[in-house]
Amino acid sequence: MTASLGEVLEGRRTAEFHKAARALLKEPLLLADGPQADEFRLVRRHAGDLRDWFDRNTGWPLRVDAEAARLGRTPGTLADATHPAREASRARVPFTRRRYVLLCLALAALERGEAQIALGRLAEQVVLDAADPHLAAAGIAFTLERRDERLDLAAVVRLLLRHGVLRRVAGDEDAYVSGAGDVLYDVRRRVLAGLLAARRGPSLITAEGFEERLAELTAESALDSDELRFRAIRQRLTRRLLDDPVLYYAELTDEELAYLTRQRAFIAARITELTGLVAEVRAEGIAMVDPMDDLTDVRMPEQGTHGHVTLLLAEHLAASDSTVSREELESRVRELAVEHGGFWSKNARQPGAEGELVELALAKLTALGLVAVVPGGVAPLPALARYAVGETVVKESPRKAQQQ
Amino acid sequence: MTSTPPEPPRTATGYAPFAHLTAPNAPLYRRVMSAFLVAKERFAVHLRPEDVYAALAPEHRPADPDAVATALDRLVGWGNLRADPDTSRVTAVEDFYRKRFIYQLTRAGEAAEQALSVYDEALGRRGALQAVALHDIVTQLKTLVVIAEEPDAAKAHLALSTLTARFEALAENARAFMGSLQRTIDLHDVDIEVFLAYKDRLIQYLERFIQDLITLGGRIAALIGELEDDDRVGALLRLAAAREAADAAPDEADSAEARAYERWTAKWSGLAAWFVSADGRESQARLLRGRALGAIPQLLAVVRQLNERRAGRSDRSADFRALARWFAEAPDDAARHRLWRAAFGLYPARHLTVDAATLDGRTARPVPASTSWAGAEPLRISPQLRRTGSYERRGKARRVQDRSAQRRHLAEIAARQTEEIAAARARLATGGTTRLSALGELDPLAFRLFLQLLGDALATWRPDTRTTTATSNDGTMEIRLTALSDGTTAEIRTPGGVFRGPDHTVEITPAEGRR
Repeated sequence: MTASLGEVLEGRRTAEFHKAARALLKEPLLLADGPQADEFRLVRRHAGDLRDWFDRNTGWPLRVDAEAARLGRTPGTLADATHPAREASRARVPFTRRRYVLLCLALAALERGEAQIALGRLAEQVVLDAADPHLAAAGIAFTLERRDERLDLAAVVRLLLRHGVLRRVAGDEDAYVSGAGDVLYDVRRRVLAGLLAARRGPSLITAEGFEERLAELTAESALDSDELRFRAIRQRLTRRLLDDPVLYYAELTDEELAYLTRQRAFIAARITELTGLVAEVRAEGIAMVDPMDDLTDVRMPEQGTHGHVTLLLAEHLAASDSTVSREELESRVRELAVEHGGFWSKNARQPGAEGELVELALAKLTALGLVAVVPGGVAPLPALARYAVGETVVKESPRKAQQQ
Repeated sequence: MTSTPPEPPRTATGYAPFAHLTAPNAPLYRRVMSAFLVAKERFAVHLRPEDVYAALAPEHRPADPDAVATALDRLVGWGNLRADPDTSRVTAVEDFYRKRFIYQLTRAGEAAEQALSVYDEALGRRGALQAVALHDIVTQLKTLVVIAEEPDAAKAHLALSTLTARFEALAENARAFMGSLQRTIDLHDVDIEVFLAYKDRLIQYLERFIQDLITLGGRIAALIGELEDDDRVGALLRLAAAREAADAAPDEADSAEARAYERWTAKWSGLAAWFVSADGRESQARLLRGRALGAIPQLLAVVRQLNERRAGRSDRSADFRALARWFAEAPDDAARHRLWRAAFGLYPARHLTVDAATLDGRTARPVPASTSWAGAEPLRISPQLRRTGSYERRGKARRVQDRSAQRRHLAEIAARQTEEIAAARARLATGGTTRLSALGELDPLAFRLFLQLLGDALATWRPDTRTTTATSNDGTMEIRLTALSDGTTAEIRTPGGVFRGPDHTVEITPAEGRR
């Protein structure tokens, strides 16, 4: 009786622990009063264990207070460009250069400012800061008088609202964009203070080249003993396995590969213990796959026209073992449209939609580490073979018909 | 410019010498006037325009000497200065043809300057806590104690005068100090560097003063008490008053002495009230001490605020500005996305999925780690999904089921059960002591409740127990059971059979009221 009760409680605790850890991995900044208030409470309950785990295995600091939980994540690789800041609307458009710059200028103004701010005032300060000669030299200028500039600022502010840095008190951004009104916000200084996750303050970095800046931003302090170096390697590998869909051995340095070969089972077990992810170990690399299918922002397979096209193109690419050109993919989409088009959305069936469909599918496959865009087309990566069906099918195979 | 003859002073308003304060170029006018004051301290009465020009501090000196000449003429116009023709020798022809004047302060101008310096001093005053004054007061009080042994009019008057003068200065300064302390702490328009420098000195200063106030304040209070014993101080005050009144005109002699005495007693009681708490009123010294002590935490709060402002805000702000520059200078969008990910770390984790069937298959037939992805069995994709891009058949839109009917049904069942249990309880309540045999027939629900109650009661039964009281497990009923020695048997009939056992008296009461 007591044993089974203990097991039940332990099982519940593990489930809760997984849920809390997954919440932080999905959204490293959780608000007590945001849409993930329940997850926040879980994180708070398990804060001690989570902090220990992340600190030891990834070196990511976890800060939890009454208002917010923030996991200070640093990516295991700096090469991944598939995680842009996105507009907080349904379209989720990636940020542009102007928006990134505006975002930073707005944050700088908020840092200096008081506990409340109006959007109009924020705009004035951004315009003042944008007069920085370096920005001017880079060809950036803001007047925030044109509508599209105001739209950019509104997108930036909505991102800050989503992350809880600002809280809307009165008014709305649309009125500001159309020049008919202003918006008042509370500034949550604590959330703001934890927004930057860089190990070093960018203002202290003097490097001029982009890559050097990026490297210094995330540089660990001096690793002058073997123990520290090994720990750094383990943390880097764990970070990649926690964050990224597939870790290919080919991307690792010799030292990293040697360490991973020795410690693979151990590292994977720690990750499973935290998240419930399962290691899929293959000759080419490791993927931590998710039986619960929710620890991701890009799904595969997925329902809907785009998901379907992606899946079918993935099969097509998996069947070919060399680079496939974009034209070939587009013509393949036209073929597929004949066969499956009846299930697709109207837009996707229209002639000329292939380009966009291929583009979207490739974006997903790239984000998932399944293909790489190379000069001359698209190269399949080993893990894409997960999506191969026995033979390339144009017609439905009898086996499948039976299963259905 | 200098060729226009100076106008005579305008006396219409009477306050024309203050007009330069509100005129444009007021700072220049004030500097010119202060040059005259400084000159007057050195007993120089007349100044030529070039003297004034030379006397101005280099950083405030106008580029053109004529500006000074103009200022002088304007000041003459307002009546602050007087211009007299300059009759000294010249060495250049053009100087000769130019009308020249020498200037000096008028009485009105001098008075205006004095008034302004008092004004500046009062505004600029920080106030000070005079620890030295406390020592002086102690000394003077001791002297008074000595004088009180052998009263002497001259000595008493001198000691009392010194004492009151010191005391007034102390009280005045303390008042100014409290005011300025508050102003400083409120941090309006205070330069941070200045404040931080001021802070350390202020805290040390407050500490020293508080110490002195505690030690000397006690001694002063004791001395005052000693002097007030037998009204010894009264005699001294009268002596001082008489001495003061001695100089008065003969016809005022009597009243003058009374008035002087009154004034002295008022001063003395003011002094006593400062250091001695009485009549439920706190002494000023104590209030001041409290105020000075309270200032320290306030000061620390301001320091903390300043530190936050320095450490947190400005640096972070610089960080964000630097990042803005990096984003602007990044080579392409991909680079910017990478920078965003590294700097803010606000990305979601991303993983491939696996379904339960595939996982089960792998557990059954594990794949060695050296298998390539191409060599391992692929993921099982739902054929439906593969064909149509959807797990569901088309045309059958998944709808949220309406479960309100079931919910209502459950609620009805729950309500009915509650009702039945309440009825069964009511049926069991005996409303007084009765025999088990008198309970008669029970329906199954009531019988179940009864059995539970009986079980609860019997659980407390010990070998020699004759009577027991128990509360049901859920706390809603109470049963009192007493064994009978007549050997009778009780029977309770239920639809499911007959329950038999030795008879007891029993009392069952609902315990709801006590919950």
